[in-house]
Amino acid sequence: MIVKGFLSTNQIRDCEKGCVKLLVKSFPRGGGHIPPRKDATKNKPIMVMPAPKLAVIALSQHAGAPCKPLVQVGDRVKLGQKIGDAEPYISAPVHASVSGQVVEIAEKTLLDGTKALCVVIENDGLDETEEQAAQDYSRLPPSQIAGLIREAGIVGLGGAGFPTHVKTEPRKPVDTVLINGAECEPYLTCDHRLMIEQPQKLIEGLKILMQAVGAGQGIIGVELNKPDAIRVLEQVCAEQSYIRVVGLKVKYPQGAEKQLIKAALGREVPSGGLPADVGCIVQNVQTAVAVADAVVRGVGLYQRVITVAGAAVYDPRNVLVRVGTPIQEVIDYCGGMANPAAIVAGGPMTGKLIQDLTAPVTKPLSGILVLSKDEVDYELNLPCIRCARCVDHCPMGLQPNYLADWSSKGLYDQAKRNHIMDCIECGLCSYVCPAKRGLCRSIQAGKQAVRAGKTAV
Amino acid sequence: MNAKQELWAPVIRAKDTIPRIMFDVVLALIPCWLAGIIFFGFRAFWIVLLSAVTAVLAEALFMRYPLRLRSVFGDGSSLVTGLIVGLILPPTVPWWIPVVGSVVAVAIGKLVFGGLGNNIFNPALVGRAVLLLAFTAPMVKYVRPFDAVTEATPLLTMRSFDWALIWGNVSGSIGETSVIAILIGAAYLLYRRIIDWRIPVGYVITAFAAAYVWDLDPWVAVTAGGLLFAAVYMATDMVTSPVNPMGRLLFGCGCGLLTIMLRKYTSFPEGVTFAILTMNALVPLLDMLTVPVIFGAERSREQRFATTAAVALVIILAWGVLFAINKTVPEGVPVTAEGVYLPLVETLGTDVYETATINDKVYYFTGSREAPEKVAVVGAEQGYHGPIYFYLVLDGSGRIEHLQILTHSDDPGLGSLITRRSFLDQFIGLDTAELAMDVDIQGITGATISSRAVIRGVTGELERFQEAFYGGEEADAGAGYADGVYTAEASGFGGPVKVEVTIDQGKILAVAVLSHRETPGISDEAIRLMPQRITAANSPDVDLVSGATLTSRAISEAVKKALAQATRTEENGANAKEPAVDISSIPDGVYRGTGTGFGGTIVVDVTVSGGKITAIDIVEHADTQFIAQAAFSQMIPAMIEQQTIAVDVRASATLSSKGLLEAVEAALTGKEAK
Repeated sequence: MIVKGFLSTNQIRDCEKGCVKLLVKSFPRGGGHIPPRKDATKNKPIMVMPAPKLAVIALSQHAGAPCKPLVQVGDRVKLGQKIGDAEPYISAPVHASVSGQVVEIAEKTLLDGTKALCVVIENDGLDETEEQAAQDYSRLPPSQIAGLIREAGIVGLGGAGFPTHVKTEPRKPVDTVLINGAECEPYLTCDHRLMIEQPQKLIEGLKILMQAVGAGQGIIGVELNKPDAIRVLEQVCAEQSYIRVVGLKVKYPQGAEKQLIKAALGREVPSGGLPADVGCIVQNVQTAVAVADAVVRGVGLYQRVITVAGAAVYDPRNVLVRVGTPIQEVIDYCGGMANPAAIVAGGPMTGKLIQDLTAPVTKPLSGILVLSKDEVDYELNLPCIRCARCVDHCPMGLQPNYLADWSSKGLYDQAKRNHIMDCIECGLCSYVCPAKRGLCRSIQAGKQAVRAGKTAV
Repeated sequence: MNAKQELWAPVIRAKDTIPRIMFDVVLALIPCWLAGIIFFGFRAFWIVLLSAVTAVLAEALFMRYPLRLRSVFGDGSSLVTGLIVGLILPPTVPWWIPVVGSVVAVAIGKLVFGGLGNNIFNPALVGRAVLLLAFTAPMVKYVRPFDAVTEATPLLTMRSFDWALIWGNVSGSIGETSVIAILIGAAYLLYRRIIDWRIPVGYVITAFAAAYVWDLDPWVAVTAGGLLFAAVYMATDMVTSPVNPMGRLLFGCGCGLLTIMLRKYTSFPEGVTFAILTMNALVPLLDMLTVPVIFGAERSREQRFATTAAVALVIILAWGVLFAINKTVPEGVPVTAEGVYLPLVETLGTDVYETATINDKVYYFTGSREAPEKVAVVGAEQGYHGPIYFYLVLDGSGRIEHLQILTHSDDPGLGSLITRRSFLDQFIGLDTAELAMDVDIQGITGATISSRAVIRGVTGELERFQEAFYGGEEADAGAGYADGVYTAEASGFGGPVKVEVTIDQGKILAVAVLSHRETPGISDEAIRLMPQRITAANSPDVDLVSGATLTSRAISEAVKKALAQATRTEENGANAKEPAVDISSIPDGVYRGTGTGFGGTIVVDVTVSGGKITAIDIVEHADTQFIAQAAFSQMIPAMIEQQTIAVDVRASATLSSKGLLEAVEAALTGKEAK
């Protein structure tokens, strides 16, 4: 039973009796309810998928400069060994997700259809690792924590793939580390299961991050449609006074960084700014768990939990997959598919359509949705009737109907003046549009044009 | 509706579609349609249906939709337009009005702009505006519910709030009268999130406040004249309203303000149509000025001024529109010398009326000169600073139906308070006999002179009306005057003119001018001819002699006054003179008596039995048949029932009545007829 209220020491004691009282928050502007469609997988424990025969490790699985390979064809590599790295600050190394021999270093098709350099390793089935002793991180200085995080190749596992170590070295003072357990996209339940099954690691990761940035409090924001996760986390957090769980109203896009900060902390990240500007950093649940593994056990990031769901896949489930596993194999592991109308990497709102099923799993992938015709809605681009539902629902307070119109007409200057760059690309505008217009798509194209420096067609 | 289907993120979408939204609006309009059918009958049903069908077919044909049942409706927006066009028409319109209105609404209101989503103006209102301006007469012909009697809308007839406005039992357009029906529809639209509450709420509240400020009853202003219907169904049209929340609020407020201003200062009684059309034109500007502050941004300096600019814009535009409209008065429409429009069609209830100049005054009336139904006239009276012009509408018998002040020059807050409805409403229902300051009409404190001027003016007009149409006191058709010689005088050009009128046998025998001070040479003709004419016509209402108008008029007025004496004395005398007759002492039998009626003697036979009158039979009479018969059938049963001669005479048949009484009295007392 979750009741609105204020967290106090008495209430923490109540937690132990099984009654959870939470602070329930939300962001005030825009947002909308989307049916979660999570019933198929939210109660299924994470299953470990066996390693693939061939692991295709992309050399660019993050935002920032791509890695250069550190191995050559024919080299033997161990599980978790670093096989690619880059020099620039904003980058992260990649690691082998199987032990075996490097058989190919070539361009392969990735999830979004582009081709990039990949290291292909043939699995010898041994899963040989390099032994690491557990580290006591409590004495480590922040820069060293950041270094460990980088070495482990940890990037934002919520989907953005931003190198985590950069976030742990903010330019401004930070007092809060906020863990994003909202998971507001439909179908996805990987973070949810992780919170239930590995809460201690999550808290551990949170503490490490807090130490790395020097934050005094840690908050885990969880949407109210995950009461089991909330209960588990509350109990684990009960021991610490500086870490707590905040309940979040179920509203899309609660998991968007700016909206999360606004809801959990009441602070508004300024336009064009970063969370550090308001004194906090945000990390995904899985990222925090990976940080714990990296800093305490020195384990490189080579696997992650994803949700495989959709009506067209026979056995939807949450799977721990090795990076580099071809998508087709993951789907086969989940029973195979039947007449999919679309296969989406990520969530249905922001995910991209997968063109080539031989593409490998990369670090930022959060889910594979194998959707049937009934689950999918097409873009119709009927005339805009100025119903302003997009304006009402935009969490950033923009006017998507106008922005999309200007973008498609090439009036990029006009769009820029009207804050098109503030769009977080959540897709809610397209979702609510009764004319089924491609608003988010047009705005994304407009943003690209503005970034490329175009002013007008 | 061939839409290219593509798949792109987001791959899921909300369930609502444009046809679904349109269908919801149709559902929300059904209560209004039903109310219209209940109040105005099946005609209302057919008009709205015809309008809807025409709109759908018009769009289907213009857009070349395949004429199959599934696809002819298109996206459903033409159905909504057609229904609304029908619902805002009076129930009396001929069949071609909804057809023309719908075609114009769809073709010119929407399609020429580029179809759904591209039009600037509300299509239904474009249709209505064209109809109003091109075919005004059928568009303002309103009727009462149920009995379909022509009646102006409550805006003109209702001075203060009445619950009939809520149920809808008032005259008006088909779907606009019932507040209850509109609110049901509004509740549904709000529940389905189709309309933004800011527009109707802003509209109604601003209209309420504006009506109060401009001295109109705010409750009537808001519930009558289709304001609520417009606020819920027409101002909220998504395509033609702003997208930003603040923009919508200002849009609604602007519509409310403009509606009231247009009602107050222009000839459009409802004001709604052009208020919304004007605000529609402002929408792009409102959108620009009310852009919300985005997440994480500070309110920029431009934005801080933007809302103020938007509000100022609405107000300035309202005044501008008012100024422009006030300067242009429709052609061929009656105006006073000051250029003020007279709401003749609305108050007379028809655009077919007579105009006559009687005694130098212009009267607009329906019915005939002899038996007018409604009469409208403009009067003037000197107020405190200058003349007060007022517009008066009377019914056939001289009862006041409508009074409004047209222009005046008195002080605001003092004399100008005579324009208050609370003052003017006191006149409604009164006629000449009842008007006296501070007895029947409460003057306005601090504006005594102005109040008195209005009362004087209205009284004067009432008297002039009686003289113009009935020649003095209400004389019976065919009734004569009391025999005798009467003198009276009236003001001529140089002084009083005294006349002597001789009545014989109930008719004017001779008229003589006894004394005068008129200009010799000029007035001779009048003094010679007027008596002749008056005698010949048996009425003082004859053509005046040209070149000597004032003298002629004086003679005529004097004769009128003399005749008034004749009728009055007759009236007062007759009833008072009846001596009581003791019927019970009369032995049984049949008695004959005679009396003098209008055209000759009346002979009656009175049967007395057991001390009571049991029968009165008319043996002969020489009066106008139907008039005398009316008198006899009223009075004879009364005399028998009340067993007395002292019964009421029949109005408009005075002489016949008195002749009958005379005859019966003569029969009973054994007197011979005079």
